[in-house]
Amino acid sequence: MSNIITLPAGTSAEPLMAVRGLSVAITGTTGERQLLSDIDLTVNARSVLGIIGESGSGKTILSRALVNWVRQPLKVTSGTVRYGGLDLLTLPEAEMARLRGREIAYIGANPTSALDPTVPVGHQILEKLRTVSPQLSREAAHKRVIDTLDAVRIPSPAQRFDEYPFQFSGGMMQRALIVDALVSNPKLLIADNITQPLDVTVAAQILRLLRDLQKDFDTAVVFISSSLGIVSEIADDLIVLDRGRIVEHSPVSDLLHKPQHAYSRELIAKVPKLWSLGGTIPQPSSGEVVLDVRDVEKTYEVRDRKAIFAHRKVKAVRGVSFTVRRGENFGIIGESGCGKSTLSRLLSCLEAPNSGQILFEGQDIASLRGADLLALRRRFQLLLQDPYNAIAAHCSIGRTIAEPLLIHGLGNRNEIETKVKAVMTEVGLPETLYDQLPVGLSAGQRQRVNIARALVLEPELLILDETLSALDQVEQAKLLDLFETLQARRGITYVYISHDLAMVRRVCARIAVMYLGRIVELADNETMFERSAHPYTRALLSAVPTVEHKPYRMETYLLEGEPPDPIDIPPGCSFRTRCPFAFDRCAIDDPVRGADIGVNTSACHLRADSLPPADAASPSNGAPA
Amino acid sequence: MAFAIEFFLRRIGQGLVIVLLVAFVIFTLLRIVPGDPIRIILGPMTPASVLEETARNLGLRDPILVQFGRFVTQVASGDLGRSFIRGVQGGSTGGSQDSAGFDPESRASVAELIGTALPYSLQLAALGIVFTLLVSVPLGLAAGLRSGRWPDRLGLYVSSFLVSLPNIWVGVVLIFLLSAKTGLLPAIGYKGFAYTIIPAMVLAIELSPVLIRAISVSVAANLGETYFDVGLVRGLSRRAMIARHVLRNAAVPLFNLFGAQMIGMLLGGLFVVEYIFSYPGLGMLTINAVFQRDFPIIQAVAILASGVLVAINMLVDFASTTIDRRLKF
Repeated sequence: MSNIITLPAGTSAEPLMAVRGLSVAITGTTGERQLLSDIDLTVNARSVLGIIGESGSGKTILSRALVNWVRQPLKVTSGTVRYGGLDLLTLPEAEMARLRGREIAYIGANPTSALDPTVPVGHQILEKLRTVSPQLSREAAHKRVIDTLDAVRIPSPAQRFDEYPFQFSGGMMQRALIVDALVSNPKLLIADNITQPLDVTVAAQILRLLRDLQKDFDTAVVFISSSLGIVSEIADDLIVLDRGRIVEHSPVSDLLHKPQHAYSRELIAKVPKLWSLGGTIPQPSSGEVVLDVRDVEKTYEVRDRKAIFAHRKVKAVRGVSFTVRRGENFGIIGESGCGKSTLSRLLSCLEAPNSGQILFEGQDIASLRGADLLALRRRFQLLLQDPYNAIAAHCSIGRTIAEPLLIHGLGNRNEIETKVKAVMTEVGLPETLYDQLPVGLSAGQRQRVNIARALVLEPELLILDETLSALDQVEQAKLLDLFETLQARRGITYVYISHDLAMVRRVCARIAVMYLGRIVELADNETMFERSAHPYTRALLSAVPTVEHKPYRMETYLLEGEPPDPIDIPPGCSFRTRCPFAFDRCAIDDPVRGADIGVNTSACHLRADSLPPADAASPSNGAPA
Repeated sequence: MAFAIEFFLRRIGQGLVIVLLVAFVIFTLLRIVPGDPIRIILGPMTPASVLEETARNLGLRDPILVQFGRFVTQVASGDLGRSFIRGVQGGSTGGSQDSAGFDPESRASVAELIGTALPYSLQLAALGIVFTLLVSVPLGLAAGLRSGRWPDRLGLYVSSFLVSLPNIWVGVVLIFLLSAKTGLLPAIGYKGFAYTIIPAMVLAIELSPVLIRAISVSVAANLGETYFDVGLVRGLSRRAMIARHVLRNAAVPLFNLFGAQMIGMLLGGLFVVEYIFSYPGLGMLTINAVFQRDFPIIQAVAILASGVLVAINMLVDFASTTIDRRLKF
């Protein structure tokens, strides 16, 4: 590190990194296209600079340009990135390599694929530390890695050191990568959208952690994100990026309350709102019961590597009961691993539950076989998240939508064609697409094809398993309107399975919150969001990244830790390990939720009125103008 | 440790079932295809009554399941039986010397025949694999590490060229060039280690193209993985990432290719190559046994071959799951 000028600590006048006139272009068959134009920014020592922009605004390219990680077909066309008296962009590869991981660390958005999948996580961090600081003895390096793992609150770090990347959850992996970045005490950390793949409670924990560590380690952070709610939690200053240009640069509170640029105002308006919503809240229906789920359980078996001929039981769904009435929007929310996808597979009869019943209009779907099952399948349909893999690429769109009619043998060729075209019009697909292949359709259009394929059978119940999660907000809103119109016209019942609380808030009348394979709370929309009775629901709501006033404060409800392993579920209440209100009884006695139909229920020993009161500030002072 | 014990117990159990099934299929097929071994044992001049009597004495007229049951019990007690044709001295008898009757005691034990031939085949196979690795590893690595540039194209051309050469023709050409024309190496029969070299080259020419492509594709795919780029940004050198991570990850599909495909190709290749070169290995023994309807030898070799395949696949899968813990077993 001899020829690298490092800044003496405490000289805050000199910026740590200064970017001037940076432009990046992509060279393709159609010539050059500018992706970043004329970027100027300054990172001061020990500060947090936030960069916000929508997908396609050039955030990731900018974050990579800061560590001189710009590869073909991308090219830096002008500008400098000055760090400690050097221009990183013109630095020879060997000298750049000496800065990377030592003085400048980088964490990306995809923690699960960032490390070699075949080598234990701790060993890879150790490998990096030993490369970066070869003077450290093996024992000292080992100890430092374990200490840093402990500092990011990874439980039993000595044991975790020897575990493999696939044994880490997304949140734990992101923590491990933070360790990897900070273990060499860098001066600058570039964090590119690091909370994006994480659940809200985990993302909030990571954010809190990074804020603490940034102070402890005296590191400057460039925090890039597409969520204003998240970046405003951590940054001092914010840069707004729109189509490769900086349109605004101001302190966070100024940006939230006095945005200067039209695009910044647009961004703020787009942040999902849960409480300052306006409009009417969906009300429960009083129709007949369409779907009656009674105490359903599903357990998977996985082989145990540590014992001979032994299996470990993964309890994915543990006694779930609820009812859905005709014409109602029922929401099931929960974070990854809570069992909502398994539940959707059970509801759509792709798998049978180990015990319990799923009654569709009074008929147990688990007992049906052959022709009866096929007949029943017509009446409820499943729509999944990924609009790309759900459509056969070699089939014309008309044929894809007609497929269910052919399977069920409904109508001759002409009738089918008329019916398919009618449905296409109904979901907003032009009839001209009938004979075309799905190549070149947008995600939204593809999802419409899926919806048309489900609707052509005139189902009574649609199960929407994260159906809208892959779409942008504009497209999502359009499809929600479509669902609403279809419901009014056809009286369809929807079960929304989602992690998107803002969407559920907008459309669902009754909502079930799942945690570790159970419904911990089931309530109508208003009760759930305003007066939730379960600590987990409150923690979940407190962690939603919004810029409005929240009735639940993260400091009160969100503890460290992640859901327990569904293989070793602790006795007593399964949420107690993360519950700020847990007391003695919770460790022994597993609270059960009353199964009364149409009543708000919660699985907690505490009565709702013994939880702290919700901050019922008037909605108007939370939302920035 | 528990994992290893369970893995091997399970896989050995499965392997025994597979070997048994293969043995049964071979056993049945041999007996239902045309060609009566008794006629070859005793010669064309033997009276029909003697033929029938010998066949009944050898148990060849019993129902196939009974014969198979007897065979399995015999194999389980460690006895692979005696050849129908080959004498104790090892030479083929055949003809009419037994027209008076057949004495199994005058025939060579199958176990001994295999025991004599096996080392030759192992030596040939090992040298063939060494040649294959010497060609494929450098070419494949160079092609994979410089994907899209000249070493990649070189790898593709070499493997396309090699894959289009029939091994019988390659064998003959190499005998002509290296042995008949220049006298550099001996070719036919076996009188010393040098006799293994040309046959091993033929094997290597057959195996190399598959391995070159597999190595280059696997290495290039791992260079494209996120963990590689992230590793460089984390501060590790390209050299360290390749040596410690890329090669390790690239090995898993290669192990599977080796177990599933290359061992099969190698076994098949041995038969052809040994026959071309009159190389006194297992392949020669088997091909002659097939021509002579020498059931005991064919059955024993089939069992041996399926046993080897099962065992190698077991080891390969164990190595794969040890490298990549995500793999199910």
